[in-house]
Amino acid sequence: MKKVLTSLEEAAKFVKDGDLVTTGGATFHRAPMELVRELVRQGKKNLNLVDREPALDFDLLIGAGCVAKIRAGMLAFEVFGLAPNFRKKSEAGEIITKEGACQPIIAGFRAAAMGLPSLPVKGMLGSDLLEISEVIGGYKQVEDPFTGEKMIAVRAIEPDVAVIHVQKADEYGNIRIEGPVYEDVIKAKAAKVVVVTAEELIPTSEFRKMPEATTLPHFIVDAVVESQKGAYPCSCFNYYDADYDHIKDYLKAAAEDQFKEYLNNYVYGRKTDE
Amino acid sequence: MNDTVDVPGLMIYAMASEIKNFDTVLHGVSSPLPVLAMSVARNTHAPDMGYISGAEGVDPVVDRIYPSSFDTRQNRNAVAYFGLHEAFDLAQRGELDVMFLGAAQIDRYGNTNLSVIGDIDRPKIQLPGGAASAFLMPITPKVVIWITRHSNRVFVDKVDFVTGQGYNNRSEEYKKNEVVVVSNLGVMNFKNPDRAMQIQSYHPGHTVDEIKEKTGFDVRVVPDVAETPVPGPEVIDFINNIDPDGVRWTEFR
Repeated sequence: MKKVLTSLEEAAKFVKDGDLVTTGGATFHRAPMELVRELVRQGKKNLNLVDREPALDFDLLIGAGCVAKIRAGMLAFEVFGLAPNFRKKSEAGEIITKEGACQPIIAGFRAAAMGLPSLPVKGMLGSDLLEISEVIGGYKQVEDPFTGEKMIAVRAIEPDVAVIHVQKADEYGNIRIEGPVYEDVIKAKAAKVVVVTAEELIPTSEFRKMPEATTLPHFIVDAVVESQKGAYPCSCFNYYDADYDHIKDYLKAAAEDQFKEYLNNYVYGRKTDE
Repeated sequence: MNDTVDVPGLMIYAMASEIKNFDTVLHGVSSPLPVLAMSVARNTHAPDMGYISGAEGVDPVVDRIYPSSFDTRQNRNAVAYFGLHEAFDLAQRGELDVMFLGAAQIDRYGNTNLSVIGDIDRPKIQLPGGAASAFLMPITPKVVIWITRHSNRVFVDKVDFVTGQGYNNRSEEYKKNEVVVVSNLGVMNFKNPDRAMQIQSYHPGHTVDEIKEKTGFDVRVVPDVAETPVPGPEVIDFINNIDPDGVRWTEFR
């Protein structure tokens, strides 16, 4: 079945208000920024975001008022410091922040990907994070039935939608990620719906020549849309590096109360086909 | 003291010396000092270490560092990719030997806070989050905490929130694992029966008294406390070559 869409606008419609959403990539690398900007343009509300180490993608959605709840291992702007909108809205009580830790979040995705209700992880015991996460029903202390070892069982995290930017895809939804994959395969298998934006659409015959280079086969993916520079200003391996100057401008705009102007210039002011 | 040795250079050298040859070592996000320390170690005393980049490259030739520690240019000439979830599997097997972690607050037993200042439900300051801290702190044989601003606001009597587990929040099994703290003033460890923080060395230009004064609890001192070893000019040149833009200074500003 052909899953290719002609516009980001259509692709973004797979995300509904209130959905649990995760994004591909890690910090400033291969985040699906163009699709995220389209979510902002469509005025999505009350999104529930989850990821291991997001950065600009989540902070932009938070700053644009699209987010109700967030669960992340860490949300920061690498050496540039704290994520400005996340910090502001979390401190003002405008979003609910439930800090996770990288491993339990990955384990939650893995459980969902494997069709399991939960997955145990080591570590974690003794951290105050357990108390806050128990509030949202994320973790429970369990004993291994064979050894009696005390561990934390993490409830499966099954996103309504995973949005992933990749280097190459075909019109059926076969995808090829080049370079680091992060948890994108796990997230795609875990999510109910997988929306892919791709730098390039290539013929299926290219996939058939080298199936070992295929990251995910078509039946995992629900929609594909071409999006050149779809990760910008984040990096896309083999295509472009992160634009740290743009990221600094974003921080400056947020710090100087110019975030609306930033949105007007880089999000609302741009149509998807420009 | 060699005039060309600056604070990041001292810290990087001290962090590198915590890595032994054949260790498997991982760095995380926002980690210019750990990246440089791992590179120094591999190019000096630990040529056979397993180097796992947070950017997923294994044994990359890091010829330059960038504002993001996940920048894929730090994966150049890697022999493989190894995802974070795979590195975490390794950690659960006890086969990840060394991890570098940060802290906004730390107490005498090595509990770290990277979550919030103030109340968790309505934080005065929302910190970035502990990333892998709560998972890796107890189970990793050696965790090196680096802190660039040693003061009694960071070294506190009681952390506002326990993100990473200190020795009083661990099971017996995990009390045997080591934590080393490398700050801009000195190196601290917990190698005593109480597993309480003690000063192992002070950096050139600083003193034990200064560290005690800038620590918000009664920090102990090892009997043979000494000056922190200073890297030679070849190590400093090596660091300058990889980091010509001074990314390593961002945490000190």
